[in-house]
Amino acid sequence: MVSMGEDAKRAVTIFISATIVFSMLAYVAATPRPSEQFFQIYVLGEGGKAERYYPGNNPNIPVGQAVRWYVGATNFMGSLQYVVIRVKLGNATLKAPDDTNRLPSPTPVLLEFKRVLMNNETWEFPFTWIIRESNRTGDVISPTVLEMNGVTIRNSDVNALNGYNFRVFFELWTFDPENGNVTFGWRTGTERRVAWLQIWFNATSLVK
Amino acid sequence: MQARLTAFGVVLLVAIGILGVNAFSRANQAVGFGTSTMTGSNEVLDRAETELRKAIVAVREAEAAGADRGRLRDLVDRLNVALWMIERGEQLQAEGDVGAAVAQAQLSIDVSARLVLEAGKLRDESAQRTYYGKVFTFAMVPVASLLVTVVAHYGWLWWRRREVESVMRMEIKRVSEFEEEKR
Repeated sequence: MVSMGEDAKRAVTIFISATIVFSMLAYVAATPRPSEQFFQIYVLGEGGKAERYYPGNNPNIPVGQAVRWYVGATNFMGSLQYVVIRVKLGNATLKAPDDTNRLPSPTPVLLEFKRVLMNNETWEFPFTWIIRESNRTGDVISPTVLEMNGVTIRNSDVNALNGYNFRVFFELWTFDPENGNVTFGWRTGTERRVAWLQIWFNATSLVK
Repeated sequence: MQARLTAFGVVLLVAIGILGVNAFSRANQAVGFGTSTMTGSNEVLDRAETELRKAIVAVREAEAAGADRGRLRDLVDRLNVALWMIERGEQLQAEGDVGAAVAQAQLSIDVSARLVLEAGKLRDESAQRTYYGKVFTFAMVPVASLLVTVVAHYGWLWWRRREVESVMRMEIKRVSEFEEEKR
Protein backbone atom coordinates (compact mmCIF):
# COMPACT_ATOMS: atom_id res chain seq x y z
CA MET A 1 0.00 0.00 0.00
CA VAL A 2 1.33 3.33 -1.01
CA SER A 3 1.20 5.77 1.87
CA MET A 4 0.55 9.41 1.05
CA GLY A 5 2.77 12.11 2.35
CA GLU A 6 1.41 14.88 4.56
CA ASP A 7 1.43 17.37 1.66
CA ALA A 8 -0.46 15.03 -0.67
CA LYS A 9 -3.08 14.29 2.00
CA ARG A 10 -3.60 18.00 2.58
CA ALA A 11 -3.87 18.69 -1.17
CA VAL A 12 -6.45 15.91 -1.66
CA THR A 13 -8.52 17.22 1.27
CA ILE A 14 -8.47 20.76 -0.12
CA PHE A 15 -9.35 19.51 -3.61
CA ILE A 16 -12.35 17.48 -2.38
CA SER A 17 -13.60 20.34 -0.18
CA ALA A 18 -13.26 22.87 -3.02
CA THR A 19 -15.04 20.49 -5.43
CA ILE A 20 -18.00 20.17 -3.05
CA VAL A 21 -18.26 23.94 -2.57
CA PHE A 22 -17.89 24.78 -6.29
CA SER A 23 -20.39 22.06 -7.30
CA MET A 24 -22.97 23.61 -5.02
CA LEU A 25 -22.27 27.06 -6.45
CA ALA A 26 -22.54 25.69 -10.02
CA TYR A 27 -25.86 24.02 -9.20
CA VAL A 28 -27.27 27.23 -7.73
CA ALA A 29 -26.07 29.21 -10.77
CA ALA A 30 -27.52 26.73 -13.28
CA THR A 31 -30.88 26.22 -11.57
CA PRO A 32 -33.48 29.00 -11.86
CA ARG A 33 -34.77 30.11 -8.48
CA PRO A 34 -38.43 29.23 -7.88
CA SER A 35 -40.52 32.34 -7.32
CA GLU A 36 -44.14 32.96 -6.46
CA GLN A 37 -46.30 33.12 -9.59
CA PHE A 38 -49.08 35.67 -9.66
CA PHE A 39 -50.76 38.49 -11.56
CA GLN A 40 -51.55 41.99 -10.45
CA ILE A 41 -54.63 43.81 -11.73
CA TYR A 42 -55.63 47.38 -10.94
CA VAL A 43 -57.98 50.18 -11.88
CA LEU A 44 -56.96 53.81 -11.40
CA GLY A 45 -59.01 56.99 -11.60
CA GLU A 46 -58.86 59.61 -14.34
CA GLY A 47 -55.62 61.09 -12.95
CA GLY A 48 -53.85 57.72 -13.03
CA LYS A 49 -54.07 57.45 -9.24
CA ALA A 50 -56.23 55.48 -6.84
CA GLU A 51 -58.63 58.42 -6.50
CA ARG A 52 -61.17 60.41 -8.55
CA TYR A 53 -62.95 57.40 -10.00
CA TYR A 54 -66.03 59.48 -10.81
CA PRO A 55 -66.30 62.87 -12.53
CA GLY A 56 -66.55 65.45 -9.75
CA ASN A 57 -66.26 62.60 -7.24
CA ASN A 58 -69.96 61.98 -7.73
CA PRO A 59 -70.70 58.24 -8.16
CA ASN A 60 -74.05 59.05 -9.77
CA ILE A 61 -73.26 58.82 -13.48
CA PRO A 62 -75.77 60.59 -15.74
CA VAL A 63 -76.45 59.70 -19.37
CA GLY A 64 -73.78 61.12 -21.67
CA GLN A 65 -71.15 61.63 -18.93
CA ALA A 66 -67.79 60.13 -19.85
CA VAL A 67 -66.00 58.22 -17.07
CA ARG A 68 -62.30 57.63 -17.56
CA TRP A 69 -60.29 54.98 -15.76
CA TYR A 70 -56.94 53.29 -16.32
CA VAL A 71 -56.91 49.51 -16.20
CA GLY A 72 -53.65 47.63 -15.75
CA ALA A 73 -52.26 44.16 -15.29
CA THR A 74 -48.74 42.96 -14.44
CA ASN A 75 -47.42 39.52 -15.16
CA PHE A 76 -45.32 37.97 -12.37
CA MET A 77 -45.78 34.41 -13.60
CA GLY A 78 -42.16 33.86 -14.59
CA SER A 79 -43.12 33.30 -18.24
CA LEU A 80 -45.01 35.09 -21.00
CA GLN A 81 -48.78 34.96 -20.68
CA TYR A 82 -51.82 35.55 -22.89
CA VAL A 83 -54.05 37.77 -20.77
CA VAL A 84 -57.68 38.71 -21.32
CA ILE A 85 -59.44 41.32 -19.19
CA ARG A 86 -63.21 40.92 -19.40
CA VAL A 87 -65.47 43.81 -18.54
CA LYS A 88 -68.92 42.98 -17.19
CA LEU A 89 -71.81 45.00 -15.83
CA GLY A 90 -73.51 43.89 -12.65
CA ASN A 91 -75.81 45.15 -9.95
CA ALA A 92 -76.26 44.48 -6.24
CA THR A 93 -78.09 41.19 -6.75
CA LEU A 94 -76.25 39.60 -9.67
CA LYS A 95 -73.40 37.36 -8.51
CA ALA A 96 -69.88 38.72 -8.37
CA PRO A 97 -66.95 36.40 -9.25
CA ASP A 98 -66.55 33.64 -6.66
CA ASP A 99 -63.09 33.60 -5.04
CA THR A 100 -63.71 30.37 -3.13
CA ASN A 101 -64.85 28.27 -6.08
CA ARG A 102 -62.89 30.35 -8.61
CA LEU A 103 -65.92 31.05 -10.77
CA PRO A 104 -66.42 34.15 -12.94
CA SER A 105 -69.46 36.37 -12.61
CA PRO A 106 -72.43 34.98 -14.58
CA THR A 107 -73.17 38.46 -16.00
CA PRO A 108 -72.61 38.85 -19.75
CA VAL A 109 -69.27 40.09 -21.10
CA LEU A 110 -69.57 43.62 -22.47
CA LEU A 111 -66.05 44.02 -23.76
CA GLU A 112 -62.72 42.24 -23.54
CA PHE A 113 -59.13 43.37 -23.88
CA LYS A 114 -56.43 40.92 -24.93
CA ARG A 115 -52.66 41.07 -24.77
CA VAL A 116 -49.61 38.83 -24.67
CA LEU A 117 -47.44 39.94 -21.74
CA MET A 118 -43.81 39.13 -21.05
CA ASN A 119 -42.65 38.23 -17.56
CA ASN A 120 -42.56 41.31 -15.27
CA GLU A 121 -44.34 43.40 -17.91
CA THR A 122 -47.12 45.82 -17.03
CA TRP A 123 -49.92 46.54 -19.48
CA GLU A 124 -52.01 49.63 -18.84
CA PHE A 125 -54.71 51.09 -21.04
CA PRO A 126 -57.32 53.85 -20.73
CA PHE A 127 -60.89 52.73 -20.29
CA THR A 128 -63.56 55.31 -21.05
CA TRP A 129 -67.22 54.51 -20.75
CA ILE A 130 -70.43 56.46 -21.22
CA ILE A 131 -74.05 55.58 -20.63
CA ARG A 132 -75.56 56.55 -23.97
CA GLU A 133 -79.16 55.57 -23.28
CA SER A 134 -81.00 54.65 -20.14
CA ASN A 135 -84.49 53.28 -19.72
CA ARG A 136 -86.86 53.55 -16.77
CA THR A 137 -89.65 51.03 -16.27
CA GLY A 138 -91.47 51.86 -13.06
CA ASP A 139 -88.79 52.01 -10.35
CA VAL A 140 -86.29 50.04 -12.38
CA ILE A 141 -83.60 51.80 -14.37
CA SER A 142 -81.51 50.06 -16.98
CA PRO A 143 -78.59 51.54 -18.92
CA THR A 144 -79.63 50.11 -22.28
CA VAL A 145 -76.84 51.49 -24.46
CA LEU A 146 -73.26 51.92 -23.24
CA GLU A 147 -70.18 53.08 -25.06
CA MET A 148 -66.89 51.59 -23.92
CA ASN A 149 -63.65 52.77 -25.58
CA GLY A 150 -65.67 53.84 -28.61
CA VAL A 151 -67.55 50.53 -28.93
CA THR A 152 -71.34 50.70 -28.62
CA ILE A 153 -72.75 47.93 -26.44
CA ARG A 154 -76.39 47.08 -25.83
CA ASN A 155 -77.42 45.88 -22.40
CA SER A 156 -80.74 44.20 -21.78
CA ASP A 157 -79.82 42.06 -18.78
CA VAL A 158 -78.76 44.39 -16.01
CA ASN A 159 -80.99 46.88 -14.23
CA ALA A 160 -81.31 48.25 -10.73
CA LEU A 161 -83.96 49.63 -8.44
CA ASN A 162 -83.98 53.41 -8.95
CA GLY A 163 -80.61 53.05 -10.68
CA TYR A 164 -78.65 52.42 -7.48
CA ASN A 165 -75.70 50.07 -7.03
CA PHE A 166 -74.55 49.10 -10.46
CA ARG A 167 -71.01 47.80 -10.65
CA VAL A 168 -68.43 47.23 -13.37
CA PHE A 169 -66.44 44.02 -13.02
CA PHE A 170 -62.94 43.53 -14.41
CA GLU A 171 -62.02 39.86 -14.53
CA LEU A 172 -58.57 38.54 -15.37
CA TRP A 173 -58.59 35.49 -17.64
CA THR A 174 -55.49 33.71 -18.96
CA PHE A 175 -54.65 31.17 -21.61
CA ASP A 176 -53.94 27.78 -20.08
CA PRO A 177 -51.71 25.80 -22.47
CA GLU A 178 -52.61 22.56 -20.68
CA ASN A 179 -56.21 22.61 -21.85
CA GLY A 180 -55.81 25.12 -24.70
CA ASN A 181 -58.54 27.43 -23.37
CA VAL A 182 -58.74 30.89 -21.89
CA THR A 183 -59.84 30.36 -18.29
CA PHE A 184 -60.73 32.59 -15.36
CA GLY A 185 -57.66 33.26 -13.20
CA TRP A 186 -54.40 31.36 -13.56
CA ARG A 187 -52.77 28.12 -12.56
CA THR A 188 -49.79 28.13 -10.17
CA GLY A 189 -48.49 24.65 -9.52
CA THR A 190 -51.52 22.54 -8.74
CA GLU A 191 -53.47 25.51 -7.43
CA ARG A 192 -55.81 27.89 -9.27
CA ARG A 193 -56.06 31.54 -8.35
CA VAL A 194 -58.33 34.32 -9.53
CA ALA A 195 -58.17 38.12 -9.63
CA TRP A 196 -60.98 40.55 -10.27
CA LEU A 197 -62.05 44.07 -9.39
CA GLN A 198 -65.31 45.94 -9.17
CA ILE A 199 -66.26 49.60 -9.08
CA TRP A 200 -69.72 50.63 -7.95
CA PHE A 201 -71.76 53.45 -9.45
CA ASN A 202 -75.31 54.75 -9.60
CA ALA A 203 -77.23 55.62 -12.75
CA THR A 204 -80.21 57.42 -11.31
CA SER A 205 -80.33 60.31 -13.78
CA LEU A 206 -81.72 59.69 -17.22
CA VAL A 207 -80.30 62.95 -18.54
CA LYS A 208 -76.97 64.74 -18.03
CA MET B 1 -118.49 38.46 -69.62
CA GLN B 2 -118.55 37.81 -65.86
CA ALA B 3 -117.20 34.26 -66.43
CA ARG B 4 -114.33 35.68 -68.53
CA LEU B 5 -113.50 38.17 -65.79
CA THR B 6 -113.49 35.39 -63.17
CA ALA B 7 -111.16 33.26 -65.32
CA PHE B 8 -108.87 36.27 -65.81
CA GLY B 9 -108.84 36.84 -62.05
CA VAL B 10 -107.89 33.22 -61.40
CA VAL B 11 -105.06 33.42 -63.96
CA LEU B 12 -103.89 36.67 -62.34
CA LEU B 13 -103.93 35.10 -58.86
CA VAL B 14 -101.95 32.08 -60.10
CA ALA B 15 -99.40 34.40 -61.75
CA ILE B 16 -99.07 36.44 -58.56
CA GLY B 17 -98.67 33.21 -56.57
CA ILE B 18 -95.91 31.93 -58.91
CA LEU B 19 -94.09 35.26 -58.76
CA GLY B 20 -94.44 35.29 -54.97
CA VAL B 21 -93.01 31.78 -54.58
CA ASN B 22 -90.18 32.65 -56.96
CA ALA B 23 -89.35 35.85 -55.07
CA PHE B 24 -89.46 34.03 -51.71
CA SER B 25 -87.16 31.25 -52.91
CA ARG B 26 -84.66 33.79 -54.33
CA ALA B 27 -84.73 35.83 -51.13
CA ASN B 28 -84.18 32.66 -49.14
CA GLN B 29 -81.20 31.75 -51.32
CA ALA B 30 -79.74 35.22 -50.77
CA VAL B 31 -80.13 34.93 -47.01
CA GLY B 32 -78.61 31.44 -47.13
CA PHE B 33 -75.59 32.75 -49.05
CA GLY B 34 -75.05 35.54 -46.53
CA THR B 35 -75.15 33.13 -43.58
CA SER B 36 -72.66 30.75 -45.17
CA THR B 37 -70.26 33.65 -45.85
CA MET B 38 -70.52 34.74 -42.22
CA THR B 39 -69.90 31.16 -41.07
CA GLY B 40 -66.86 31.05 -43.34
CA SER B 41 -65.37 34.20 -41.83
CA ASN B 42 -66.10 32.85 -38.33
CA GLU B 43 -64.19 29.70 -39.20
CA VAL B 44 -61.20 31.68 -40.45
CA LEU B 45 -61.24 33.87 -37.33
CA ASP B 46 -61.44 30.77 -35.12
CA ARG B 47 -58.54 29.24 -37.04
CA ALA B 48 -56.57 32.47 -36.59
CA GLU B 49 -57.15 32.28 -32.82
CA THR B 50 -56.06 28.62 -32.79
CA GLU B 51 -52.90 29.45 -34.76
CA LEU B 52 -52.17 32.34 -32.41
CA ARG B 53 -52.39 29.99 -29.41
CA LYS B 54 -50.00 27.58 -31.12
CA ALA B 55 -47.60 30.48 -31.67
CA ILE B 56 -47.89 31.50 -28.00
CA VAL B 57 -47.06 27.95 -26.89
CA ALA B 58 -44.06 27.91 -29.29
CA VAL B 59 -42.72 31.23 -27.96
CA ARG B 60 -43.19 30.02 -24.36
CA GLU B 61 -41.12 26.95 -25.19
CA ALA B 62 -38.38 29.20 -26.56
CA GLU B 63 -38.56 31.25 -23.35
CA ALA B 64 -38.35 28.11 -21.18
CA ALA B 65 -35.31 27.00 -23.20
CA GLY B 66 -33.56 30.20 -22.07
CA ALA B 67 -34.02 32.56 -25.04
CA ASP B 68 -32.70 36.05 -24.42
CA ARG B 69 -35.16 38.81 -23.54
CA GLY B 70 -34.45 40.99 -26.59
CA ARG B 71 -35.38 38.31 -29.09
CA LEU B 72 -38.38 37.28 -27.00
CA ARG B 73 -39.54 40.91 -26.97
CA ASP B 74 -39.57 40.89 -30.77
CA LEU B 75 -41.60 37.68 -30.90
CA VAL B 76 -44.07 38.92 -28.26
CA ASP B 77 -44.56 42.19 -30.17
CA ARG B 78 -45.43 40.19 -33.27
CA LEU B 79 -47.79 37.96 -31.27
CA ASN B 80 -49.59 41.14 -30.24
CA VAL B 81 -49.75 42.23 -33.89
CA ALA B 82 -51.38 38.88 -34.79
CA LEU B 83 -53.78 39.34 -31.87
CA TRP B 84 -54.64 42.85 -33.02
CA MET B 85 -55.38 41.51 -36.53
CA ILE B 86 -57.86 39.01 -35.10
CA GLU B 87 -59.58 41.72 -33.08
CA ARG B 88 -59.71 43.96 -36.14
CA GLY B 89 -61.15 41.03 -38.13
CA GLU B 90 -63.86 40.53 -35.50
CA GLN B 91 -64.64 44.24 -35.61
CA LEU B 92 -64.89 44.22 -39.41
CA GLN B 93 -67.11 41.15 -39.27
CA ALA B 94 -69.41 42.91 -36.79
CA GLU B 95 -69.58 45.85 -39.22
CA GLY B 96 -70.56 43.44 -42.00
CA ASP B 97 -67.33 43.64 -44.02
CA VAL B 98 -66.82 39.89 -44.26
CA GLY B 99 -64.18 40.00 -46.99
CA ALA B 100 -61.91 42.37 -45.05
CA ALA B 101 -62.48 40.31 -41.88
CA VAL B 102 -61.33 37.14 -43.66
CA ALA B 103 -58.30 38.98 -45.08
CA GLN B 104 -57.29 40.20 -41.60
CA ALA B 105 -57.72 36.72 -40.15
CA GLN B 106 -55.65 35.23 -42.96
CA LEU B 107 -52.87 37.75 -42.32
CA SER B 108 -52.94 36.83 -38.63
CA ILE B 109 -52.67 33.13 -39.54
CA ASP B 110 -49.60 33.87 -41.71
CA VAL B 111 -47.94 35.89 -38.93
CA SER B 112 -48.64 33.14 -36.37
CA ALA B 113 -47.33 30.42 -38.68
CA ARG B 114 -44.08 32.35 -39.22
CA LEU B 115 -43.80 32.88 -35.47
CA VAL B 116 -44.14 29.15 -34.81
CA LEU B 117 -41.21 28.49 -37.16
CA GLU B 118 -39.02 31.26 -35.73
CA ALA B 119 -39.84 30.36 -32.14
CA GLY B 120 -38.91 26.75 -32.89
CA LYS B 121 -35.51 27.82 -34.22
CA LEU B 122 -34.97 30.16 -31.27
CA ARG B 123 -35.93 27.35 -28.86
CA ASP B 124 -33.38 24.98 -30.40
CA GLU B 125 -30.63 27.62 -30.39
CA SER B 126 -31.40 28.64 -26.82
CA ALA B 127 -31.62 25.05 -25.58
CA GLN B 128 -28.21 24.32 -27.11
CA ARG B 129 -26.69 27.48 -25.66
CA THR B 130 -28.17 26.76 -22.23
CA TYR B 131 -26.86 23.18 -22.41
CA TYR B 132 -23.35 24.30 -23.31
CA GLY B 133 -23.52 26.94 -20.60
CA LYS B 134 -24.37 24.30 -18.00
CA VAL B 135 -21.68 21.95 -19.27
CA PHE B 136 -19.14 24.79 -19.10
CA THR B 137 -20.24 25.75 -15.58
CA PHE B 138 -19.88 22.20 -14.26
CA ALA B 139 -16.66 21.64 -16.22
CA MET B 140 -15.20 24.65 -14.43
CA VAL B 141 -15.74 22.98 -11.04
CA PRO B 142 -12.67 20.65 -11.12
CA VAL B 143 -10.59 23.39 -12.79
CA ALA B 144 -11.45 25.88 -10.05
CA SER B 145 -10.89 23.22 -7.38
CA LEU B 146 -7.48 22.39 -8.85
CA LEU B 147 -6.53 26.07 -8.89
CA VAL B 148 -7.56 26.44 -5.27
CA THR B 149 -5.61 23.29 -4.35
CA VAL B 150 -2.46 24.47 -6.15
CA VAL B 151 -2.67 27.94 -4.61
CA ALA B 152 -3.30 26.49 -1.16
CA HIS B 153 -0.48 23.94 -1.52
CA TYR B 154 2.14 26.44 -2.65
CA GLY B 155 0.84 28.98 -0.19
CA TRP B 156 1.30 26.45 2.57
CA LEU B 157 4.81 25.62 1.38
CA TRP B 158 5.74 29.30 1.23
CA TRP B 159 4.37 29.96 4.70
CA ARG B 160 6.18 26.95 6.21
CA ARG B 161 9.46 27.94 4.58
CA ARG B 162 9.03 31.45 5.95
CA GLU B 163 8.43 30.08 9.43
CA VAL B 164 11.43 27.75 9.22
CA GLU B 165 13.61 30.56 7.94
CA SER B 166 12.54 32.81 10.75
CA VAL B 167 13.51 30.07 13.21
CA MET B 168 16.82 29.62 11.43
CA ARG B 169 17.58 33.31 11.65
CA MET B 170 17.34 33.20 15.42
CA GLU B 171 20.68 33.78 17.16
CA ILE B 172 21.84 32.31 20.42
CA LYS B 173 23.89 34.79 22.33
CA ARG B 174 26.07 33.86 25.28
CA VAL B 175 26.40 36.46 27.96
CA SER B 176 29.40 36.08 30.29
CA GLU B 177 29.06 36.24 34.12
CA PHE B 178 31.40 39.19 34.24
CA GLU B 179 29.27 41.19 31.84
CA GLU B 180 26.20 40.28 33.80
CA GLU B 181 27.74 41.51 37.03
CA LYS B 182 28.76 44.71 35.31
CA ARG B 183 25.15 45.38 34.48
